[in-house]
Amino acid sequence: MKEKFEPNIIGFLCNWCSYAGADLAGTSRIQYPPNLKVIRVMCSGRVNPIFVINALQQGADGVLIGGCHPGDCHYERGNYLARRRMAVLKNLLEYTGIDSNRVRMTWVSAAEGHKFAEVVKEVTEDIRKLGPMQHFRRENKW
Amino acid sequence: MVDEKTLRDAVKKTVGRKDVKYVVGYDKGTTGFQAAPTFAYEEKDAEKFVFNPTCVNNLAVYPMLEDKPPLRKGEEPDTRKIGIVLKGCDSRAIVQIIQEKGLKREDVVIIGIPCTGVIDPKKLKVKFPGQHKSVEVKYDNDKFAVTVDGKTQKFSKDELMPEKCKECEYPTPIIHDILIGKEIKGVKKPDYKEIEGFEKKSLDDKWKNWEKEFDKCIRCYACRQACPMCYCKECMVEILDPQWVRRSVNLSENTAWNLLRAFHLAGRCISCGECERSCPMDIPLMKLNKKITKDIHEMFDYKAGVDAEAKPLLAMFKPDDPEEFIL
Amino acid sequence: MSGYILSKDNLPKFITEIMGKNKVFAPVEVNDETYFKEIKNPKDINMKYDNSKLPPKSLLFCQTETLFKFTPGTKVKIQPPDINNSKKAIFGIRPCDAKSFFIIDPVFKEDFEDPFYVTRRDNMLLVGLSCTNPYPNCFCTSFNDSPASSKHVDILLTDIGEKYFVEVNSEKGKKIVKSSLFKPATKADETKKKEVEKKAVNSITRFQKIDKIDEKLDKIFENHFWKEIADKCLRCGTCTYLCPTCHCFDIQDESTMIEGGRVRIWDTCMIPEYTLQASGYNPRPTRANRVRNRVYHKYNYYPKNLDVIACVGCGRCIEGCPVNIDIIDVVTRAGEVKP
Repeated sequence: MKEKFEPNIIGFLCNWCSYAGADLAGTSRIQYPPNLKVIRVMCSGRVNPIFVINALQQGADGVLIGGCHPGDCHYERGNYLARRRMAVLKNLLEYTGIDSNRVRMTWVSAAEGHKFAEVVKEVTEDIRKLGPMQHFRRENKW
Repeated sequence: MVDEKTLRDAVKKTVGRKDVKYVVGYDKGTTGFQAAPTFAYEEKDAEKFVFNPTCVNNLAVYPMLEDKPPLRKGEEPDTRKIGIVLKGCDSRAIVQIIQEKGLKREDVVIIGIPCTGVIDPKKLKVKFPGQHKSVEVKYDNDKFAVTVDGKTQKFSKDELMPEKCKECEYPTPIIHDILIGKEIKGVKKPDYKEIEGFEKKSLDDKWKNWEKEFDKCIRCYACRQACPMCYCKECMVEILDPQWVRRSVNLSENTAWNLLRAFHLAGRCISCGECERSCPMDIPLMKLNKKITKDIHEMFDYKAGVDAEAKPLLAMFKPDDPEEFIL
Repeated sequence: MSGYILSKDNLPKFITEIMGKNKVFAPVEVNDETYFKEIKNPKDINMKYDNSKLPPKSLLFCQTETLFKFTPGTKVKIQPPDINNSKKAIFGIRPCDAKSFFIIDPVFKEDFEDPFYVTRRDNMLLVGLSCTNPYPNCFCTSFNDSPASSKHVDILLTDIGEKYFVEVNSEKGKKIVKSSLFKPATKADETKKKEVEKKAVNSITRFQKIDKIDEKLDKIFENHFWKEIADKCLRCGTCTYLCPTCHCFDIQDESTMIEGGRVRIWDTCMIPEYTLQASGYNPRPTRANRVRNRVYHKYNYYPKNLDVIACVGCGRCIEGCPVNIDIIDVVTRAGEVKP
């Protein structure tokens, strides 16, 4: 029997905005897909591309990075730096044949519980359409 | 055309200075169509220095590669300068390292060579297979004169040059203390046609191509070692806790390594092509690097290794950086 | 020496015959370079290759090998892996590469028997192919070897025009030539083979002086010469990865939350991490130490312990080195250094 594909998405959410936004979505009882597994980081600027590649290797079908709106970063410029980095990384992934929609970035403030839920819905649906990430997944065969 | 006598005199003068440790330059290779890096510690060592179209290596890698074994008690570190013979493209590596504060400008004495293009040893190897007793490659106006076992043949430059020379923007070293010969103006422009053509392929085709290439990789990390920009004290693949990239050789880890290597050179790669040249498995690494070079030029209007005063690409931002991909 | 003849028309039949009993690995051309790969069709073989990009050692001593599997946690369970003992054959191996197996055999067979290597080695049939067109940096004749030597293979084919001259060197080989495809060779064929061999030997122009090299090296261990050689080394390790006789490995544990494996991976003595100790002390801190170690391992320690120089003269390290560290030149010059 073929099981329905449920995407596995890793979310790196910044402590000050997106994580709080996710919290608000939870406390406000807003429904959103359970496919996102959240890892809290202090700033979206903390997200090293190695995290993204490693997540894709270890079984994530997609990665979502959440930061503060431009200008709102707790550390003033972390989200701007993350934006540059991800722009380069997404193009590189697309160039090697991996749909760049697997790596998404969003600005969600602590007050945007609704936006957070909408973003997660959209990302989950996009990645559901793309199907499982099979390009360079670790096989763990010893 | 580079006059070797002038070069040797310059090397002699530099190595004779009290504050210079040694000078790195090119010597005739022992075999095939490649020159070998060589080191002058004394004035008499300068006699072996040459410059011809086989001088492909990027010598900017050496200052960062120096062994620094722990000092004994009472020993002082050697802080003398290093002299390097640099072509235009290679000088960009030093500019970039200075920009990143890996070196100070006064740490190096640069003997600049205005370069009219070098050969691609792989292309010549195909043209002259088998063993040869003697091999010589010379500049002959706008051609390369290749002498193999006494017979001279002339080739047009485009036939033997690597891609990077065909689109060289900086034939004259950007920074130099001594310049051998006259400055050459850069008139060529980078050509991204091949990259653009590849971008247009379907995702599946692109992955099939890279899957094949990454599968070949034996993870010797020669690309990293040959790269003048890869000078981290500890590379991310050698960190054991957490071990981001496993040491076993398979498609997954190979892909992770190759993507991360390319990414870590974003805004830093100066397109010298050393990674690709030293890859024993002939993986077209420059195709990845060049893609990023093209992207950052389009997105951020940035070029690596041109301005030592500029800020590193990924350590700065503009409020209006592209963000159409952000939800 | 009694030889056999295999006509070129019968070659595919002969290969199909071996393929019936063995998994056959043979030189296959991919993008102008030759690699040893498993073949499904005799037509895929490149019979006129120079030298394979990578030595065939990976067929015996895999780059990544699982030693055992385990389940992490407080109740550790260890599960030995299945050692694959299927019959395999390397078709078209060069005499130098075959010699490299003979050189690394003691490492995996003496003192401690490595089950992975030994099983593969015992089940491996070597069908050699004489080298008639040596590579630019070949120097096997420096070790009194010949590009058409049958010493280390089961049977050796030599291209002598319309047919192959076949020499047999082992019991395994004798069984193979019992096939009706092989005809006894005449005196003329044998002379022809010797001519081909001589032509190949003569086309080798590079020589390494290895006369009493192990004794000479003993005297120059602390010499400045090694720093001179190693100054230009990038410590990339290409030489060791391409070397058919380099056999160093690293062992690492890799695991997920529920299972893991201990893997053995090729390592290279050219990187500082190779000798780095947990205390932070490194007995070989500089490139000079490491380059010297590589030369000594091959030209001093090996001859002393096992009576054979651990170099076969394939020239891959010379070809692959991005900075032209030329082992022929290094060793020849080392022999001339005054202690």
